[in-house]
Amino acid sequence: MATEFPVTVGGASAPSTKLAGGKRLRFAVPTSENGLKAAHFRNGRLAAALLAPQLLVLLFFFFIPSYKALSLAFVQVDPFGGREIFVGLENFTRLFSSEEYRSSAWITLWFTLIQNVVTIGLAMLFAFATDYVARGKGLYKLVILIPYAIAPVISGILWAFLFNPAVGPLAQLLHSFGIPWDPNRRPFDAQLLVIIASVWKHICYDYIFMVAALLAVPTSLLEASRLDGAGPVRRFFTISLPLIAPTVFFLIVMNFTYGLFETFGIIDAVTKGGPAGSTNILVYKVYQDGFVQLDLGSSAAQSVILMFVAIVFTILQFRGVERKVNYQI
Amino acid sequence: MSRMNKSSIAVGLRNLAVGFGVSAVALGAAMPAFAQERVKVEWWYALSGRLEEIVQQLVTDFNESQAEYEIVPVFKGNYEQTMAAMVAAYRVNQQPVIMQAAERSFLTMLNSGAVVSVDELMAQQGYDIDWGNFVAPVAGFYMVDGKAAALPFNSSSPIFWYNADHFKAAGYDKPGETWQEVEAQLTAIKEKGISDCAMALPNDFYWSLIENYSAIHDVPFATLANGYGGLGTEFIYNKSPLVVGQVERLERLMDANVLQIAGQGMSPETLFTSGVCSTITASTAAHAGVEAGAEFDWNATFLPHEEGVTPLNSTIGGAALWVLQGQSDEEYAGAAAFFDFIASPETQNWWAEQTGYVPITNAAYDSMTAAGYFDEHPTREIAIQQLNRAEPTDNSRGFRFGNHNQTTQMLVEELQGVWAGQQSPQEALDKAVARGNEVLRQYEQLNGN
Amino acid sequence: MKENKLGLSIFCHAVLVFAALLVGLPLYFAFVAGSLSLQEVQQAPFPWVPGAHLIDNAVEAWTTGGFGRSFMNSIIVTVGIVVGKLAISLIAAYAVTYFRFPFRMTAFWLIFVSLMLPVEVRIIPTYEAVADTAGPIRWLLNVVGISGALESLFGYRIDAYLQWNMINSYGGLILPLIASATATFLFRQFFLTVPDELCEAAQLDGAGPIKFFWQILLPLSAANIAALCIIQFVYGWNQYLWPLLFTTDKSMATAILGLKNLIPVNDSVPAWNLAMNAALFVMLPPALIILVMQRWFTKGLVDAGK
Repeated sequence: MATEFPVTVGGASAPSTKLAGGKRLRFAVPTSENGLKAAHFRNGRLAAALLAPQLLVLLFFFFIPSYKALSLAFVQVDPFGGREIFVGLENFTRLFSSEEYRSSAWITLWFTLIQNVVTIGLAMLFAFATDYVARGKGLYKLVILIPYAIAPVISGILWAFLFNPAVGPLAQLLHSFGIPWDPNRRPFDAQLLVIIASVWKHICYDYIFMVAALLAVPTSLLEASRLDGAGPVRRFFTISLPLIAPTVFFLIVMNFTYGLFETFGIIDAVTKGGPAGSTNILVYKVYQDGFVQLDLGSSAAQSVILMFVAIVFTILQFRGVERKVNYQI
Repeated sequence: MSRMNKSSIAVGLRNLAVGFGVSAVALGAAMPAFAQERVKVEWWYALSGRLEEIVQQLVTDFNESQAEYEIVPVFKGNYEQTMAAMVAAYRVNQQPVIMQAAERSFLTMLNSGAVVSVDELMAQQGYDIDWGNFVAPVAGFYMVDGKAAALPFNSSSPIFWYNADHFKAAGYDKPGETWQEVEAQLTAIKEKGISDCAMALPNDFYWSLIENYSAIHDVPFATLANGYGGLGTEFIYNKSPLVVGQVERLERLMDANVLQIAGQGMSPETLFTSGVCSTITASTAAHAGVEAGAEFDWNATFLPHEEGVTPLNSTIGGAALWVLQGQSDEEYAGAAAFFDFIASPETQNWWAEQTGYVPITNAAYDSMTAAGYFDEHPTREIAIQQLNRAEPTDNSRGFRFGNHNQTTQMLVEELQGVWAGQQSPQEALDKAVARGNEVLRQYEQLNGN
Repeated sequence: MKENKLGLSIFCHAVLVFAALLVGLPLYFAFVAGSLSLQEVQQAPFPWVPGAHLIDNAVEAWTTGGFGRSFMNSIIVTVGIVVGKLAISLIAAYAVTYFRFPFRMTAFWLIFVSLMLPVEVRIIPTYEAVADTAGPIRWLLNVVGISGALESLFGYRIDAYLQWNMINSYGGLILPLIASATATFLFRQFFLTVPDELCEAAQLDGAGPIKFFWQILLPLSAANIAALCIIQFVYGWNQYLWPLLFTTDKSMATAILGLKNLIPVNDSVPAWNLAMNAALFVMLPPALIILVMQRWFTKGLVDAGK
């Protein structure tokens, strides 16, 4: 399958040569193809063999399910698999006109937004502090890193316990101040609880990236600024922050993805979407409607909408990465 | 050839095994499961806690009573989780033989095309079950055209549990018969400081305090005889001033902190049995937990009704056993044998006494009465008496809605909005009805042909 | 920086101490709760000092929660994910960057596209894919007419043999989770930064692609591989949604699911002491891995974002 015609890019072509022992050297000269090493091999069959496992797994567990999700969205189907009625866009129109879905979308938006702001804000504060202190950096970094090992669902359980109106220490504290804290009955309390649990778990991620990014800021620039009389805080805002902006942008996108999808565990373990649907974020609604209420058509339609949102975010994420990588000093 | 050796060794081993088996049986081993290859019949159930222990005992008793079949009980979670697991398994041909489904899944199961009618099964297998012997409200729920689609298994009705010590301390003999009286009593108990929580809101309040309320007061929950008349049924409970008034009453009590929601991770029944809350409207099946755990003078009575209304019968809750398609003949035979065992008066006696669930056959009920059981345990009879209290009307026969789980979930969500002070009872009921009707129309579209 | 602003220094230390407390206090409370008895954990006010039941609770939580089995499941599944993902993505990335063949770009874009959709948006169809993995094959055979031909010619119903159900199996837990191409993309990015001279030199020495891969590329990638192992270990260990859906059998539950089943819900005893205790030992393995391999991990995480 490998062809041997020479390819030239401003250079001489190198035909293949026969070596002793009968092995054929398959040379190639520098090409300008995207993502292909200049020095590469031309063994197409081997490449296919190497790619096969990844592509097969993708075929069975990504492409086919995604296609199925798309097709289920246009039907109404009996959960037992017996009846199926094609309903066109009805599932979608029903979603958009349903107050519950709009409310769920709205809640999801606010969740992810608030989580994003708080996480980045706190992470930035901690990263700045870590960058500035002379001693103990390693220890602080280690401690702050710990929540990375903790699953979101465990974070949810921890905070659910702390804020449990019956036995939780923090809830008792709030009650002693006269605040009728009750995430089982008051929607706001439940939302606050979920936000705290998800932010707590995710700060470390943003923190690590920002610490690394701050480290990459050239000291020469900072020195120059210091000699000009700027204090550390001023230097941070005028020099460091613009330089780590691509990282921050990347993190904002990652935070949105985290808030949209990875908080599922917290919701399922702690509030199950309640009370009164106040913590029923979009991804949880997909699960509820599909797996618990067995309304497969609507659930698939919701999946499709989420797919579009996810695609937008992934594109943004890669644009952000591009900007980061291309940013050379 | 080695193959020959292998097969002769295999034959030898098998002979040895048979020899062992025979001698074990001959020794009168108390484990009949040892000797033969039993037909395994898988049963997915959804009861947990003390009730689960009793279920396990039931299965052991059956398995030990005969040697052909072995029921394999598997716990899959609560009713909803078991249902979801069964549907998922069904789609890939991995469903169990027997499945316990809640009463509100009745229509969904019936129309699924995935079940074998119990009536047919028993007839095919040669059992003669007298369906007329089944207690009327129970039978009425699970029968279609006089034939039982599922076997009623654990049927209950909600009753009003109360802490007699608390009531006495407040100066009352027992709870009043009407809601008006009860409301006053609960408020008094709280104000006199006898207990901080006069009533715990049960998790299934939609069943005990709304659905049963409408049945007892002869208020239509939906058109077409609550769904018995056809798939074109529509919810109309939001139009009844009585139902709205009931929700308003609950809201009032909750705002006054007389009625309380159990916190996260706390069970409402436990709040009652631990003496924290004075009353709760819970299933008669709570007997198991109350008898085991309550250390005060507890008692139970009929659910309250409105002043000036003659109360009708309440409706049943609980679950039934369904038999699913796609099994082998031996498995069906095993299921039939198990059902026959369950429906026998002895088993029903034992089951009702252990769990507090209602005995499902008149024969069992009569034998328990004759044995004086209800004289000794008067609270056990309340649920049956409440179920038999009147001739069921169209509004109190029960409910038959497709995707009833879904519509119930919507009602609960909307009412949670009331507890949170976000909307008025009328608004919540209106929205629940609107959302529920959408689901009913979808179900009709998919199944109406 | 040689300046010494004491005020700012103190502020920064204070901030970091606050951060450490923010992380540490909930864990400390969990530790205290996990060491109390059932009655003690329900009392108000909540004690600040640990109780005496840490080991008792651990034993009780371990046995009632069935953690012996679920830990083993978690280990098998997590190692499976790590090894599986590593294996298929290393060679796929290698193929896409170091080989020239028709449809190379197509293959790359197919892989890239799979990054667009997190698993959570394909919940139900992925469930069906796991429950009926051979479904597409059967469909294909039907459409192409092979199964029909087989049946009529030989009376052979191939459908009956193509029923692969991976629900409640390790395969079902592992395969969908290695289907995303994040690792492939990562290695691709890394391979692109490897100097071309290495490959040229190898080719001049007469080494074939496989030899080059084993002897040169892999050792070079050691740091990335280590980092990826750590990240994937944590990812795999902490999986929640997929084990929830794919295991209806209690004996196949992972440690995280076992923990979730210990959380007191309505209708059960508020055994928060057991739940907190279990939470601590369930989070131990990933925490240990990160603590021990912290250096590689941090570098790897940041590189992964590039």
